[in-house]
Amino acid sequence: MCHTESATENRSRRDWTRKGRDSDVRREALVVLGILAAGLAAGLAPTRAWAVDPQVLRWGADKAGGEPFIYEDDSGQLRGFEVELAEYLAKKLGKRSEVYQGGAADWSKLPELLVNREIDVVLNGYEYDPEREKLYASTIPYYIYRFNLLVNQASPIRDWIDLASPSPTGGKRRVGVLGGSTSEAYVEKRFGQAIELRRSEDVANLIGLVERNENLDATVQDNTAAVTFVRKTPGLKIVGEAVAPGYYVMLTRPADREFREQLNQALRAGIEDGTLEAIYRKYGIWNDDQQRLKYLAAAPWPPVASADDQPAEGPRVVDWGYITERLLRAAGMTLFLSVVSFPLAMLLGLFIALLRLFGPLLLRIAATVYVEVIRGTPLLLQLYVIFYLTPRVTNVALPPEVAGIIGLALNYAAYEAENYRAGLLAVPRGQMEAGLALGMTKLQVLRRVVVPQAVRIVIPPVTNDFINLFKDTSVCSVILITELTRQYNTLYNFNRDLVLELALLTGGLYLLMSYPLSLLASRLERQAKADEDD
Amino acid sequence: MIVVENLVKSHGKTKVLDGVTLTVKPGDVAVVLGPSGGGKSTLLRCINGLEPFQGGTVRVGDMTLEAGLSQHGNTARLVALRRRVGMVFQQFNLFANMNVLQNVMAGPRYALGQSAEQAEPTARQLLERVGLSDKANARVEDLSGGQQQRVAIARALAVKPEVILFDEPTSALDPRTAGEVLSVITELARSGQTMLVVTHAMGFARQVASTIHIMHAGRVEESGPPEQIFDAPTSAVTRAFLAQARQS
Repeated sequence: MCHTESATENRSRRDWTRKGRDSDVRREALVVLGILAAGLAAGLAPTRAWAVDPQVLRWGADKAGGEPFIYEDDSGQLRGFEVELAEYLAKKLGKRSEVYQGGAADWSKLPELLVNREIDVVLNGYEYDPEREKLYASTIPYYIYRFNLLVNQASPIRDWIDLASPSPTGGKRRVGVLGGSTSEAYVEKRFGQAIELRRSEDVANLIGLVERNENLDATVQDNTAAVTFVRKTPGLKIVGEAVAPGYYVMLTRPADREFREQLNQALRAGIEDGTLEAIYRKYGIWNDDQQRLKYLAAAPWPPVASADDQPAEGPRVVDWGYITERLLRAAGMTLFLSVVSFPLAMLLGLFIALLRLFGPLLLRIAATVYVEVIRGTPLLLQLYVIFYLTPRVTNVALPPEVAGIIGLALNYAAYEAENYRAGLLAVPRGQMEAGLALGMTKLQVLRRVVVPQAVRIVIPPVTNDFINLFKDTSVCSVILITELTRQYNTLYNFNRDLVLELALLTGGLYLLMSYPLSLLASRLERQAKADEDD
Repeated sequence: MIVVENLVKSHGKTKVLDGVTLTVKPGDVAVVLGPSGGGKSTLLRCINGLEPFQGGTVRVGDMTLEAGLSQHGNTARLVALRRRVGMVFQQFNLFANMNVLQNVMAGPRYALGQSAEQAEPTARQLLERVGLSDKANARVEDLSGGQQQRVAIARALAVKPEVILFDEPTSALDPRTAGEVLSVITELARSGQTMLVVTHAMGFARQVASTIHIMHAGRVEESGPPEQIFDAPTSAVTRAFLAQARQS
C-alpha cells in the first residue's frame, strides 16, 4: 500500500530559519517539542468516544494507493475492490458511502483520521496486527493476502531463496519494499543482512525501478497488488510461491463496538452469499485462500481479546536493542549524506558565485539561471529528477546514495553561491585594485586575496546552511535511502504505541548531531563580529 | 617614461578629464596639485589601466593604452603595463588576509612567480628601508595608518616598477604619521625613483618635486618647476589655488 512522505515540510521550515539564523538552538527545541506534542495527542486521543455518522459510511483510504484497491479510472470514476466493498457495506447499513483521505498525507497516517473523527472506519489494505489492536479495533478479515516476489522478466532470480545468494556482480540483492509495511517486516525477518533492503513510500516507484532494472533486483508486494502489476506491466513477473498469509481488516475506534458489529454482520453476509467473491473475481484477486474467510467469519474475532475488553493485558516486550541499532544505523546514513554532500556544495557554490560576479556575460547569465531555478524548485523534485529521470536520458542508473549526494550538493550549491556572492561583494574594492596594480591577474587576485577574505566572511551563514542540509537529508527517503526520518517512520508503523518514545529518540539523535554544529555556528558568528569591531 | 596625450574621460555627461597632456621623464618626481574634484586621482587610475577612458592615449615606455580599451581580453597587456607602473593608494589597501611580510612578498610571488624563499630577502630589505623591519610578522590591522602606508610603499617597490603613482598617499593620515610617510617618499625620490605624486602636501611638493602640474576641472592648467609655480605662477587658477592652500 502507498503513502507519500511530506518531505517538503523541511524546506519550508528551512526558509524561515534563513530569516533568523541565530535562533537555531531555540528552533531545535521547538522541533522536539512539536514531535512530543504530536506524540502526546496521538497517545491520548483514542480513549475518547465519538458518535458514528448515522447517514454516511465515512471510510478512509489513500486514493493514490492504486489498483486494485482504490483508483480513478480514465473518466475520473473511483474504482477498486475496496470501493465496491464499501458501497456494499454502506448499502447493508442503510448509509451512503463516502471515501475520505482527509488531512492524512499518506497511507500510514490513515488510522489517525479515526482519532480526529474525520472517518469512522479505515478500509485500505490494513493487515491484522495484534499490536495495533490496542489502539484501533479491527473487524473480521475481508481478504486473505500473501506476499509475492516480483522481478524483472530478464531476472535470473527464480525463487525467494535466490535472494540470499549474491548477484552476478557480487553484490547483495537489492529488494524494494513499501516502508513500514508488513512486507518490509517479513523480508527483514527472513533475510536480514543477506540482502540490501530498500524502502520507499511509493509502490509505483518500486515497480518502475524493477521494470527498468534500475537499482532494484526485486520487490515484495501483497498478492493483490502483485497480480495487478504483472497484468499491466509486461516487463515484470512473479516468481516463487505466495508466502506468509495475513488478513486485511477494517480499523475502527475501539469504543464503537456496535458499529463494528454492524460491519462484521454485513461482511459475514457478503462472504456467505458470494458478494465478496464476485467483487474479488472482477478484480482478478479471488483465489483458494479466500475459502477460509467463511471459517474466520464464524470464529470469534479478534483471535486474542481486544484492548477495550481487557485493557490490563501484560506489557509486551519491546526490543529496544533492535530499535536503537536501527536508529543509530540510520543516523549514520544521515551524517554520511551530510558530510559528503556539503563540501561539494561549498566548492560548486564558490565556483558559481565567481562566475556570477566575474565571469564572461554568457556564463554569468547561466550561473544566475542555475541559482534561480534551483532555489525556485523543491529539493524533493530535484531528487526525483536525478534519481528517476536521469537513467532514462543517460542510461546510467545512479545508486540512491550517489543520487542523494548529487542532489543535495547541487541544491545547496545554489544557496552557497548566494552566500559567497554576498561575501565576495563585502570584500572592499580596493583589495582587487591593489592586487591588479601589482601586476597580478584578476584570477590571481581572486585566489590569493579576495576569496580567502570572502570565505572568512561567510563562515557563519555557511555553517548554518550545513545544519539545514543536515536536516534536509530526510528528503532522501523518497529515493530509497533509509536515513533517520525514514527509519523513524518505519519503526513507528510497527510500534504505534511507542510513538512518544520513538519521537524522543529520533529527535534526540537529530539534536545530538546538530546541536554541536549550532554552537559552532554561534561561536563563529560572534568571532566574525568581534573581528569586524576591531 | 610616461606620456599622456589629450586624455578624455567622462562619467556620463560629466567630463572628469578634458584633454590632459603631461609627460614624466625617467628620474622625474612629478607632483600634481589642484583643488579636489579636478580629476587628479582619475588621471592616475587611467595611467595604470584601472579605468578605461574615452579619448587620447597613455604611453608607458613602448606600451600604449588607447581609448575604449576594455578590461576583458586585454589582461596580458594590462598586466605587463602594471608591472612597470606601481601604485600607492590613499586608503593603503593592504591585503587583509596577509601579514606585513606577506603583503610585501605578494607581488614578487604571485605576479612575478617567485618562490617564497626568493622573495623574502628583498621583502625584508624593503621593510627595513621603510623603517618597519620589526613589524614583519605583524597583522595589518595592528599597524597605524602611517605604518600601513609605508608597508604599501614597500609592497609597490617589491616588483621593481619603473615608475610609481602615489594617489594622495597622506590624505588619510594625521600630520605626524603623514610626516613619516612623506620622508620615506622623499628618500625614494632622492634615490632616483621616477614617480608621479598626487598630493595636497605643499611643503613636500616644493622641496621634492622636479615638476609640478596644477590640475583643475579636468585639465592641466600650468606646469613647471616648483620655483616657477610657487613664486611666479602665470595662471589665475594657480594663483587662486595657492592662495586658498596658504589660508588653510
